[in-house]
Amino acid sequence: MLTATLLSTFLGIALICLLPSRFGGAAKWIALLSALTGFGFAVAAFQGYDMRPGVYPIQSIINLPWVEKIGIGFITGADGISLILLLLTGIIAITGILFSWNVTHQPRAFFALFLTIIFGVYGVFQSLDLFLLFVFYEIVIIPKYFLISIWGSTNREYGAMKLTIYSVAGSALILLGLLGIYVLAPEATFNLLSLAKYKFPVAFQLWAFPVMFLGFGILGGLWPFHTWAPTGHVAAPTAVSMLLAGVVMKLGSYGALRVAMTLFPLGLDYWRMPVAILATVGLLYGALVALAQRDLKFVVGYSSINHMGFVMLGLVTLNTLGLSGAVLQMFSHGIIGGLLFAVVGRMLYDRTHTRDISQLGGMGLTKALPFAALTFTVASAASMGLPGFSGFIAEISILLGTWKAFPVLLIFTMLGVVITVAFTLRALQRTFFPAHNADAPTAETAHEPFDPITLPERLGALILMTATVGVGLFPKILLDPILRSFESPQSLMHHLIQGVAK
Amino acid sequence: MNSTLLLLKFLAPESILADTALLVLIAGLVKSTASSRNVLLSLTLLGGLTAGACLLYFPDNVNFFHGMVVLDPLTRLVKLAILILSLVTAVFAAGSSVREHFAEYLALILFSTIGMMLLAGTEDLLMIFIALEMTSIPLYILTGYLKKSSASAEAALKYFLVGGVSAAFLLFGLSLIYGVTGCTALQDLAKVPPATFRDPLFLAGVVMAMAGFGFKVAAVPFHLWAPDVYEGAPTPSAALIASGSKVAGFLILAKLLTYGLAKAGGSAVWGAMQPGWLPVLGLIAAASIIVGNLAALSQSNVKRILAYSAIAQSGYMLLGLMAADKTGLSSVLFYVIVYALTTLGAFGVCAIVEQRRGGSQLHHFEGLHQSAPGLALCMGVFMISLAGIPPLAGFFGKFYLFAGALGSVATKDGHMGLLWLLIIAIAFNAVSLYYYLIVLKHVFVIPSSAEPAPRSPRSATGTLVGLLAIAIFALGIYPGLLLDPIHNAVKTATWFAAKAAAIATSAAQPKTLQGTTK
Amino acid sequence: MSHDYLLLTLFLAIAIVFPLVPLALAWLWARFLSPSKPGKDKQSIYECGIESKGPARIQFQAHYYLYALVFLVFDVETVFLLPFAAMGFVKISVPSFLAIMVFLLLLVESLVWAWAKGVLEWK
Repeated sequence: MLTATLLSTFLGIALICLLPSRFGGAAKWIALLSALTGFGFAVAAFQGYDMRPGVYPIQSIINLPWVEKIGIGFITGADGISLILLLLTGIIAITGILFSWNVTHQPRAFFALFLTIIFGVYGVFQSLDLFLLFVFYEIVIIPKYFLISIWGSTNREYGAMKLTIYSVAGSALILLGLLGIYVLAPEATFNLLSLAKYKFPVAFQLWAFPVMFLGFGILGGLWPFHTWAPTGHVAAPTAVSMLLAGVVMKLGSYGALRVAMTLFPLGLDYWRMPVAILATVGLLYGALVALAQRDLKFVVGYSSINHMGFVMLGLVTLNTLGLSGAVLQMFSHGIIGGLLFAVVGRMLYDRTHTRDISQLGGMGLTKALPFAALTFTVASAASMGLPGFSGFIAEISILLGTWKAFPVLLIFTMLGVVITVAFTLRALQRTFFPAHNADAPTAETAHEPFDPITLPERLGALILMTATVGVGLFPKILLDPILRSFESPQSLMHHLIQGVAK
Repeated sequence: MNSTLLLLKFLAPESILADTALLVLIAGLVKSTASSRNVLLSLTLLGGLTAGACLLYFPDNVNFFHGMVVLDPLTRLVKLAILILSLVTAVFAAGSSVREHFAEYLALILFSTIGMMLLAGTEDLLMIFIALEMTSIPLYILTGYLKKSSASAEAALKYFLVGGVSAAFLLFGLSLIYGVTGCTALQDLAKVPPATFRDPLFLAGVVMAMAGFGFKVAAVPFHLWAPDVYEGAPTPSAALIASGSKVAGFLILAKLLTYGLAKAGGSAVWGAMQPGWLPVLGLIAAASIIVGNLAALSQSNVKRILAYSAIAQSGYMLLGLMAADKTGLSSVLFYVIVYALTTLGAFGVCAIVEQRRGGSQLHHFEGLHQSAPGLALCMGVFMISLAGIPPLAGFFGKFYLFAGALGSVATKDGHMGLLWLLIIAIAFNAVSLYYYLIVLKHVFVIPSSAEPAPRSPRSATGTLVGLLAIAIFALGIYPGLLLDPIHNAVKTATWFAAKAAAIATSAAQPKTLQGTTK
Repeated sequence: MSHDYLLLTLFLAIAIVFPLVPLALAWLWARFLSPSKPGKDKQSIYECGIESKGPARIQFQAHYYLYALVFLVFDVETVFLLPFAAMGFVKISVPSFLAIMVFLLLLVESLVWAWAKGVLEWK
């Protein structure tokens, strides 16, 4: 079932590549179909997840030999966390394609590269073999470069190169840790399930943990290595921004959780505080900088840093509340980030050709594009963490977890929450509900009427809004699998909530 | 059987290649037209295929003249690889700008191939030198083949002069080794008592020999010929230099160091270095990686970028060689063959672009994705494989190299002696992605400013480039295709048993990778 | 060691001194005993008795180089043939005869090639 997600995506890529150039328009339909089937399989796997006590939390394990002499195998499986993130990937894939319905320049290449990223992301979330995880992790990097540099907007070549080099630098750090793991393990294998049982030497853990956590953290937006994110997000076309903020940054935090934190508990114990401080600084920094931005997409980009700071903080709190909040925040921010970028990029920029907040404010957008206003309002509310949306549960869990683990940092985190509300409201108000009379656009901002919001955009926005409201009202659907992954005694990550006793 | 005939039987591949070369020379005395060039090419391919068949048809292991000519699965594998690489180069040559004296061009390729094959199949110092010269001299001529191009002449002169000096160094070093130990065969060298290795004359000889080999594989600081030669030489010659001579060079370096001089290794562990060739190799590898990657960042000619990348890749391969055990040798062989295929493909694309656009500067590649999308995709595969990004073969090769090197000196309590070198290698590998992406940026992103050329008909070079790209992709997904034959071949190398005894004398207790010593 | 190389050092000294002494004597004689009377015909360049005309520098013909190259190859071939010739025909076995014939034929082929390519023509 899990591999079916990979297969359907791969089939989509292959079919799109085989399309003759006359039928370029069919590429988006094939992509959509592939994304829908992938999502369907992810939902099926999610439904099939057995949460009875006593059942091993990681299920649907497939173990095929790949390069046996080295100990590399094609090992996949999923526990609650993986399944939730697979669901997220499916949703973002579908909505990303819907929001890219208007791509006319080389559509086949665009959708093939898009699906390649989805392929890689699906792979990372279900890999249980570290080598395989790394392969999928890196597959994501190169398509990002081409997507941004060919179809992007502001400063796209610089943004693409910066993003790619940063990602590769992070991967280099991960590779270093991976080689160390492989060399020091008692047998030559990359199987996470076997490696998790082994106690790596302390001297090794003390440097391997920060190296690997940092490597994953670069992609996860850890301050101060986050500078690729705003530039890259802004330069990218809408769907790619949605992917980047929605899923690709989660690759980093997922990897940090699944690999660095699972395998190096002693290292984690030693480096916990510095990571927590960096996460809090990132949280505050992202919020403060977002407060000062004039470009709406930069606001959203920095809000991603802010939200990912929450994730990183929650991960190192090492109690059930914080950890489950972090995972839920991964899902929640994926949806919300996707929604925000969709509005700013597709609904607004494609029509108005500007992202400057003051200019947008003068265009009477609430009257011209009411659906966009609605969507952005909902997205802002979710981003601020209002109850009823998924962000609330996630953030409150993280905050409670932080109170238990790092009470002093909680002050700064709360400050961060307040500033988040501030910048979100500022962006919302100045863009859609500006102070002066917006009903009559002034002479210098008079423009032709915008194209109406198309059906694919409405569908995409509705899907995302339903997701965030649904999880906000019924968080149990997602929290149960997440809690199972941490609380089950057989889980690889059980030691994280016990306090580092390993 | 009479020993001469036996020798002839096992040297049949080289003899057949020599006959083919002479036949091509004679056949080339008729007027040179496109069809006659195809006839010559077919002759070459026929001879090459026959040679390959002979290689596979006589599977016995032999050792002639106390190590001068050695045939075992390992040498057979490498000889086959060299043969394939040079045949691909011959096909490239047919479609390239070399029009006059084409028969001589093919004959020179074949002569150089014979030299490379002899180099791969020897375990004697004298024969090493002879084969090395036999490889290099045709390559010098091949570099300077374009008489009307001053770049070609300059490249040939630089190559010849640097090559001549390094051959002198090599010969002097080998003769010093002979002078101190009294043996020229590697198998005798392996039995020399370790006390001899402290002799300063011997160490000087080893360093000089490494200087000679360092030139062949384009390692820093013996790399200064590489950028000019790769850029100025006609593209098929550069392709042969980059692929075939590297494969042969690395195998013989591996044999010399890990077989003949196994006990003279010393140690390159950080903080516990011991004199021998391991620290020297480590320094050369680190320098190559750093210089090669940094220098490539500012280049504007794709062939020059490939040259500096060749220097850096030699660094990675030397790093893998430092493992000095079966894993190390397997990883080096895997990577050098994968690298040779990749570079061959990249040079093939350069050759086609040169023909269509008139040069191989970065701006000549612009808009390739519109005029030749298949070729652009192949170039993408080659560049990404060179950068070491999965799921292509280059990534697996690099990974295996690094794992082998790190694992050879790792101890149970977490100290990894070669970590300093690994950090340099991995860091600069990340840097290298920049210049590979710059090439791909010009290929895919920047639209062409020139008039769109009509789609040229498919050529043999283009088809081969496509096949190479498919091979790289396949090897990335399933490296076992190449790795298993290499593993089986390396298993027959009997000389690694001595390493365990040699290691026992050093301080750290290394851990061998159990999966690979089966 | 001093014993062995002493003789050699002595030989080296004599070898250097022996040619230098007459030269030195001639120079001394020329300096002190023979007058210096330069004349137009005395200082002119010798060209087998003819009046020399034209500049001394002429362009070196590259063909000399090609001839030298071809000569070198066949000269080395001759060197290799010498032991074969010295053995006499009686004691050679068939395989070694074949080997030497192959060697000869290879070089004959190279001559044929050079001939056909026009290397031997003076242009």
